[in-house]
Amino acid sequence: MLRAITLTTLVFAAAAPAALAQTVTMTMTPPAVETNRYWNTPGDFALGPALQGLVGHNPETGAFDNSGLAESWTNNDDLTEWTFKLKPNAEFHFGYGPVTAADVVHSLELHTGPDSILNGISQLEGAVAEAIDDHTVKFTLPAPQVDFLFVHGGRGSLVIYSKAQFDAEGLEGYDTKPAGSGPLQYASRDVGRGLNFEKVEGHWSGTDVGYDRLELEFVAEPATRLARLLAGEADIAVLPREVQGDAIAAGMAVIPSTRASNQTAMLFNGTFLQPGDEALDKSLPWLDIRIREAINRSIDRNTMIDVLYDGRAEVLPVFAMDPRHEGYSQALADKFDAAYGFDLDKARALMAEAGYPDKFENPVIPILSSNLAGNPEFPTMAELMQVFLEEAGFQTEIVEMDWAGLGGLRNARAAKMFHPMRNMPVKPSAVGIRNYYSAAGRPRNNYEDPEVEVLMDEYMQSTDPDRRNELAAGIFDRVFHQYAVVPLASISAEVVVNPKTIEGWLYPGVTSVGFSHFENVDVNE
Amino acid sequence: MARFITTRFLQALLSLLVITLIVFSLSHLTGSPIDALLPDDATQAQIDNLTRELGLDRPLHVQYFTFLQNAALGDFGDSTKWKGSSAAEVVIDRLPATLQLGGLALLISVVVAIPLGVVAAVRKGSSIDAVASVIALLGQSLPAFWLGLVLMWVFAVILGWFPTSGYGGVTHMVLPAIAMAWFQIAALTRLTRSAMLEVLDAEYIKLARVKGVSERAIVWRHAFSNAAIVPITYFGVLAGSLLTGSVVIETVFAWPGAGLLAIDAIRGRDFPVVQSVVMFFAVFFLLANFLVDILYAVIDPRIRHQG
Repeated sequence: MLRAITLTTLVFAAAAPAALAQTVTMTMTPPAVETNRYWNTPGDFALGPALQGLVGHNPETGAFDNSGLAESWTNNDDLTEWTFKLKPNAEFHFGYGPVTAADVVHSLELHTGPDSILNGISQLEGAVAEAIDDHTVKFTLPAPQVDFLFVHGGRGSLVIYSKAQFDAEGLEGYDTKPAGSGPLQYASRDVGRGLNFEKVEGHWSGTDVGYDRLELEFVAEPATRLARLLAGEADIAVLPREVQGDAIAAGMAVIPSTRASNQTAMLFNGTFLQPGDEALDKSLPWLDIRIREAINRSIDRNTMIDVLYDGRAEVLPVFAMDPRHEGYSQALADKFDAAYGFDLDKARALMAEAGYPDKFENPVIPILSSNLAGNPEFPTMAELMQVFLEEAGFQTEIVEMDWAGLGGLRNARAAKMFHPMRNMPVKPSAVGIRNYYSAAGRPRNNYEDPEVEVLMDEYMQSTDPDRRNELAAGIFDRVFHQYAVVPLASISAEVVVNPKTIEGWLYPGVTSVGFSHFENVDVNE
Repeated sequence: MARFITTRFLQALLSLLVITLIVFSLSHLTGSPIDALLPDDATQAQIDNLTRELGLDRPLHVQYFTFLQNAALGDFGDSTKWKGSSAAEVVIDRLPATLQLGGLALLISVVVAIPLGVVAAVRKGSSIDAVASVIALLGQSLPAFWLGLVLMWVFAVILGWFPTSGYGGVTHMVLPAIAMAWFQIAALTRLTRSAMLEVLDAEYIKLARVKGVSERAIVWRHAFSNAAIVPITYFGVLAGSLLTGSVVIETVFAWPGAGLLAIDAIRGRDFPVVQSVVMFFAVFFLLANFLVDILYAVIDPRIRHQG
């Protein structure tokens, strides 16, 4: 009905009044936690326009660069000491003075406190920051970390707050008006409604934002966000792909991130193959590798990408593997069609060889249908999986559960389901492997096997880049040939914009929701 | 009368106690806020820390009695989603928006439904009666969220007469208030009409007509004042429904009231806010019905004597 109504309104929408170019309004899903205390959120990108980390990203390539607060950095040979040289001219907003090493030390304390719920904070566990001088800070880590920059970049496990503001006003100062250092400064928060930022005139970095004010609106309903965009009340909207078509038909434009920001997969959770693991449920049908391969071969990924992503995604050969990170194997990518390609005959032959369903105590594949902010396609993905699997001859059932419910089961290592997962932003290989394929990711991991553990132990300790690359590649090779998960798609973050007011936006898709680099939003005059 | 009021008050308190038990149990049955708050790659240390911080490591009955004790003092704990604010503060901040919207919806309901119901009864079988029946039928069969989206699309996106959504002045309230009021107009119109039909058929009305009392006086002074007890009874339900009905409408229209807050809190498993908002709704509902009971007893002496 909504689509029908939308299509009838194209002409009217085209004539809708445009929002003022000097104020850019972006309508988006509400964040999980609303607070100016970044460490009390899982990593709220909505504070990103004002608060900066030490490391930045090139907006075109996504590579780490010195567009953050640090002008350079070095590390010792065993990767346990990282020293950052801060930009001497970096300044906090509202007159709180220069950004110094003391601010970094102070921020680390805040971010690693007991109330921190940040994504990826495990990378900062046991880290000690020491101010060498006003503009030099050294992190000493309990174990080697080749991916330490990831903590400081778009993933943003550590953003820098002003110690001077804390000393003057305490945490309440941050609650009222946190001083950041970005090209946009915090203006106000309308609780439950959104966040507002203002352009910083004469910003210390020389960045000149092309508009005066940024308003981030929290609107839960996708149809309402679409209406706001079409009515000219918003310039940029975060819309699920099934609604994007209506917006495009009404003259709106999609701007994707320059790089893939997300990987999706279906996980065979509970595949705990290490000897003696009490969490292992031996009745899970996918413990048989032939069943895992058969399921992988039952899925027509190209059709799935057309349905779920309007064709705007790439088939993913190995979940958590990415050309930008360690262990990437073109050979595996090349072998994907042969090993994982859609082949119902092969799938059925594997099932017959495994004796499915008669030889299985519990042959039913429980497929989780769940909503996750940022991945509105997951429920449809579950339905598609059911169609593909039943076509091959699998017995399935859809299990509906909210994402938090799945989290609870994963905490207890009891999520005995075939369920969707995302890797967003696309994480460095060590983080991805830890999260999805290794006991190091307990309790929320989904797959473990002794061979991966041996490789992982060495990988975590190794500081030699070549050896690390070999080890990561070895792990990816192992999980590829074990059909450890069902890798699905590599996708970009996308926003829909009103082309009358927004000319473009260059962002690399490196944050937890994909959006960053708000200073690059190019407005039509 | 005093005994009647005391009885009703004690019943309301008992209801409130039962509600606390239901709210506490249901919110815990839906799972732990830890699962909603922590990221996918949470470590065991993060899980343990947050469990301790939120007091979720204590036995459930201890958590309930602590909740009850604090709730009696208006303290529902700190919000886990809106950090830095207590749950009660968060709800109180949002209540004015809900009351504004609910108040306007209530006004629209009463202003439209009562005259429509009265006129439909007085002119039974006429075209106005038919219109009232259609409105009643549509009002009770159209889901509020669907009506809200249609109103938004037609009057905001296509015609541009009103803002699509969000918080602001009266223009922002018109569409959501109509969407909220629509169902209540239908219900109240039907109730008023049937109550009026019953009274208009009474002997004393016929006698008034025989005595030459004007039709206007018969309808409004003699018939409506007696028939009004039915819509007044419904008024408690109406006020409560408008408040709880705000959950859907506020979400569709991004109206930052207690209804949208409830949805956001449920999604984020913010137990203190969920419990707080439901308790506020419950108290409002009980209070409205308590007042209606008293009003009912004032209007009809038989009730207070039975009570």
